[in-house]
Amino acid sequence: MNGNHYNLNLKDILKKVFFVDLIQGLFITFNYTFSKTITLRYPDEEKWIPYRRFRGLHTLNRNKEGKELCVGCELCQKSCPTQCITVVPMQDKTGKGIADRIAYRWEINLLRCMFCGLCEDACPTEALKLGREYELANTSMQRSLWTKEELLAAQEIPVEFDGGVIVRARLERDDKGLKVIPDMSVQKRWW
Amino acid sequence: MATVKINGKEITVEDGTLILEAAKGAGFDIPTMCYHARLSKLASCRVCLVEIVGQKKLQPSCVTPVMHGMEVLTESPVVKSARSSMIELLLANHPLDCPVCDKGGECELQDVTFKFGPRNSPFGERKRRFHEEDYILSPVIIQNINRCIQCKRCVRICDEVVGASVLGSIERGAKTGETSFVKEYLDCDHCGNCIEVCPVGSLMSRPYRYQSRPWDLKGVDTVCTYCGTGCQLTVQARNGEILRVISKPDKGINNETLCARGRFGYSFINSHERFVTPMIRKGGTLEPVPWNEALKAIKDGLTEAMKDGRKTGGIASGRLSNEELYLFQKLMRGVFKTNNIDSGSRWNTGAVKSFANVMELNKGGISVYDALNADTLFIIGSSISDENPITDYLIRRLSRNKKMNIIIASPRGLKLDSSATLSLRHRPAAEGDILGGIAKVIYDKNMDKLKDLTGKEHLKNISRENIPDLTWTDWSSIESVSGFMLSANSITIAVGNDVLRGPSRIESMHILAEALRLLGKDVKLFPVFDRANQRGAWEMGVHPDILPGYSFRDGDGLGSEGIIDAASRGEVGALYVVGEDIVSDFPDGGFVREALRQVKFLIVQDIFLTETAKMAHVVLPGASFVEKDGTFTNQEGRVQRLRKFIEPQGDAKADWEIIASIGEAVEPSFHYGSVSDIFKEIKGAVPMYRGIDFEGLDGNGAIVKGSGIGGQGAGVVAGFSLRPKSEVRSQEQETPDPEYPFILITGNHLYHSGRLSLKADTLRDILPEAVVEMNEEDAKAMGVSKGDKVKVKGDRYEATLTAHINKRSVRGVVFIPENFTDVPVNMFFTKGKGFPRVKVLPLSSLSPQGRGPG
Ligand code: SF4
Ligand code: SF4
Ligand code: SF4
Ligand code: SF4
Ligand code: SF4
Ligand code: FES
Repeated sequence: MNGNHYNLNLKDILKKVFFVDLIQGLFITFNYTFSKTITLRYPDEEKWIPYRRFRGLHTLNRNKEGKELCVGCELCQKSCPTQCITVVPMQDKTGKGIADRIAYRWEINLLRCMFCGLCEDACPTEALKLGREYELANTSMQRSLWTKEELLAAQEIPVEFDGGVIVRARLERDDKGLKVIPDMSVQKRWW
Repeated sequence: MATVKINGKEITVEDGTLILEAAKGAGFDIPTMCYHARLSKLASCRVCLVEIVGQKKLQPSCVTPVMHGMEVLTESPVVKSARSSMIELLLANHPLDCPVCDKGGECELQDVTFKFGPRNSPFGERKRRFHEEDYILSPVIIQNINRCIQCKRCVRICDEVVGASVLGSIERGAKTGETSFVKEYLDCDHCGNCIEVCPVGSLMSRPYRYQSRPWDLKGVDTVCTYCGTGCQLTVQARNGEILRVISKPDKGINNETLCARGRFGYSFINSHERFVTPMIRKGGTLEPVPWNEALKAIKDGLTEAMKDGRKTGGIASGRLSNEELYLFQKLMRGVFKTNNIDSGSRWNTGAVKSFANVMELNKGGISVYDALNADTLFIIGSSISDENPITDYLIRRLSRNKKMNIIIASPRGLKLDSSATLSLRHRPAAEGDILGGIAKVIYDKNMDKLKDLTGKEHLKNISRENIPDLTWTDWSSIESVSGFMLSANSITIAVGNDVLRGPSRIESMHILAEALRLLGKDVKLFPVFDRANQRGAWEMGVHPDILPGYSFRDGDGLGSEGIIDAASRGEVGALYVVGEDIVSDFPDGGFVREALRQVKFLIVQDIFLTETAKMAHVVLPGASFVEKDGTFTNQEGRVQRLRKFIEPQGDAKADWEIIASIGEAVEPSFHYGSVSDIFKEIKGAVPMYRGIDFEGLDGNGAIVKGSGIGGQGAGVVAGFSLRPKSEVRSQEQETPDPEYPFILITGNHLYHSGRLSLKADTLRDILPEAVVEMNEEDAKAMGVSKGDKVKVKGDRYEATLTAHINKRSVRGVVFIPENFTDVPVNMFFTKGKGFPRVKVLPLSSLSPQGRGPG
């Protein structure tokens, strides 16, 4: 065994006596205290808007004429590994959808969803997309059940919006829970 | 036998086997599109091409038979690429709108493409489009012609099996061929068989439109309870809601076919009109009560009503299961100590007994396929095309490719006439004389051989001279029927339940069958019933003179008519009616109503508040056919399983449970826990059922075996006497009355069966209101055309109906279906007087604009 291992040289002893490491560390801390903040002030003031490729809450979409793209083909339901989607089709001749077949019910139970996106891949009409809504925590199981009407509603983060930025936001509380409302006009890059 | 090598595997098959079938047998999968096992061969799609070693051209395996020593390749590179291009051609003009297509998930084109097809296509041209929107062909069919691949399966089934021939190709040629209705939809049977065989989503079911995907559906294979044919069908539901009924090619005698009633007559199950709690009459109205209260009321009511030696009676429907019918007769006989039981109320009780005897029902069943394996088929006593559509389809299909003379005797023109060698149109109720006439000709020609013919003395009443009067048929037709029978080696006589309306017809049938047998012919008697479990009802002993297993007895028991008679005299204390609407069925609607009013305590068990139920003191909610287990015995004697699929609605209960709990309320030892327990007991009581394994009954059911007395033809059971003819004749013969020139007959309509089917909305859409069918010339003479409103007037009832024309019906007869609540056709009848006479008054003369669109 090499006894040198236990021998301290003078330089080390001095370093210890004068707390050099500690002071160096504190100096870094001290420096950051006065440098520009890079922490995301989420949820109170800021919110991260993910890229388009993000897989958040499902959205049902319309075409340019405003017709529902979903034709109730049930392929998303079939492809879902966790079986959390229920689609019931119906006939509709009023021109609501792109075909005379639309979804009568389109429901998802997010408690089971693992956001794999297979349903989106299966959708033949690009009606179904996983969106950028990720604040899905809630206090009631019932709130995890999302229906066609809710998923068809205008999205907070428009599809055209590229994402990958931080925007200003404000936290709101109501009886349904917490909500962080983004303000797309004030953006910044996080790096 | 031919030995062939398929992909190197050697197999031996029957001569003439198609390569396709041989390869399937050897375990090789060859795709097909236009091929259908039970239809004529078309060989147009060419996706089934195979290579025969030594032949340059690929051959379609669906029409090429094997030859001894042949070597076939189904997976060679040439085959694979040819096959793939054939599929590509099919797809070239196919819209590929699978996401909106109802066939998606069970589409043969999808499956074939995924398995054998190309993965991409060089075709870039615009696809052919005939229509932008799917269009409605009929109340049950919706079509998307763009998806049609021209396989013509629909055309072939409609023509070769259904016999309606309403589908065809408009404009021929590769680009313009369009397969659709070529006739009016009124000629359509609404059977939906074209939908069933369409391999793609071109012909689709309207009631099922955009309801679900096949993978969401859960189903159960069960038996149709509408008619005696006993088709197998599969009821499918999503989350407990029944969405459709389909047929399966490998199940049942019906294979892929069903009739309109079987395929579309299910929605009564979820009808809001069903009553789903027991009800007791309290101060004039029926009020819901819990089960225990209803049972207590029954117990008390029965005791009270049966005081002073009043009679008890029970009438059960031939649409209940064997287990229910068995329990019912056991309850009546064992607990209520009465033989006053019957099934149905339209027939003569004595006739039923003779019928069971002459038809030798106790000798076991006979498969319809065996019955149709005959040189001559004679059909009498049934509007078979309307009453038993699938029996009609089977006859048409099986007779297409073989020499079989079909002879039909009926007052109404039938669709099957087009397949018949000879059709006799006769006067209603003349079946006995027709049969007797035929027997007479046969007897006269073979007197030496028929010296010992039993009952030959009855033939004396029939002669060349009186036949036209008795039957409205000429002697020469009777002679030609006899000729066909004499020249045949095997003869099947299919006898419908119209002969049960009076007893005289059955003895003639017996004499005819005996005569033919004495002449050495193979004679099969095949019963044709309109009620799904009529045969089962008799086999279980629901008849005053038939104990379970056809032990015939002569007793004091009353049949339906006797019970109703006794009731009219105030002698009936308690009457228990299960599943039967006697007020609507008994041939004298006014009389039966009056009679039931005299019944002290009337219990009615049904699923709808029928006319009979409305008169009851206690009504009990029974279960529909998907809500209970059991077995049904069809007209062939085939026992098939009824399978429970959903729970009965509300407080409703399976009918056997109700019967058992009534029994238990009166007699605590009358306890049954399950249907299979009851079936076990049936096996003990009915020897014919001994060999049947309840749990093991599959899609083909099991045919009951004779009780050891011998096969068909062993003669009538000892001690059974044919009724003297004279007594009967006087009852049945009506005197012509110039004021009422028409004879009114009734029966089921093709789209309806009993009163139940009227509650199924799809069937109601097809035929929403009662019609009167009459001969074309009769109509012309009165200036009536199809769709006109006419008034039909008898001496005690009249009704306004829409006229239908039947070109082939006999003159002087009108037919009104018995299925419509608003036209209770039995109101025209007078008890004991046979078919009523009516007159027809056109209404169009009163209101010229009242002419329907036709
Ligand atoms: S993301 Fe995955 S788990 Fe969630 S609904 Fe879609 S397929 Fe199902
Ligand atoms: S979202 Fe897409 S995959 Fe799902 S039912 Fe609608 S069209 Fe079909
Ligand atoms: S429903 Fe039946 S009768 Fe009508 S077109 Fe189809 S197969 Fe022919
Ligand atoms: S409609 Fe269907 S069954 Fe008829 S020809 Fe076209 S694809 Fe074949
Ligand atoms: S033929 Fe009779 S048993 Fe067959 S589906 Fe029609 S009603 Fe049902
Ligand atoms: S299946 Fe053989 S040619 Fe169509």
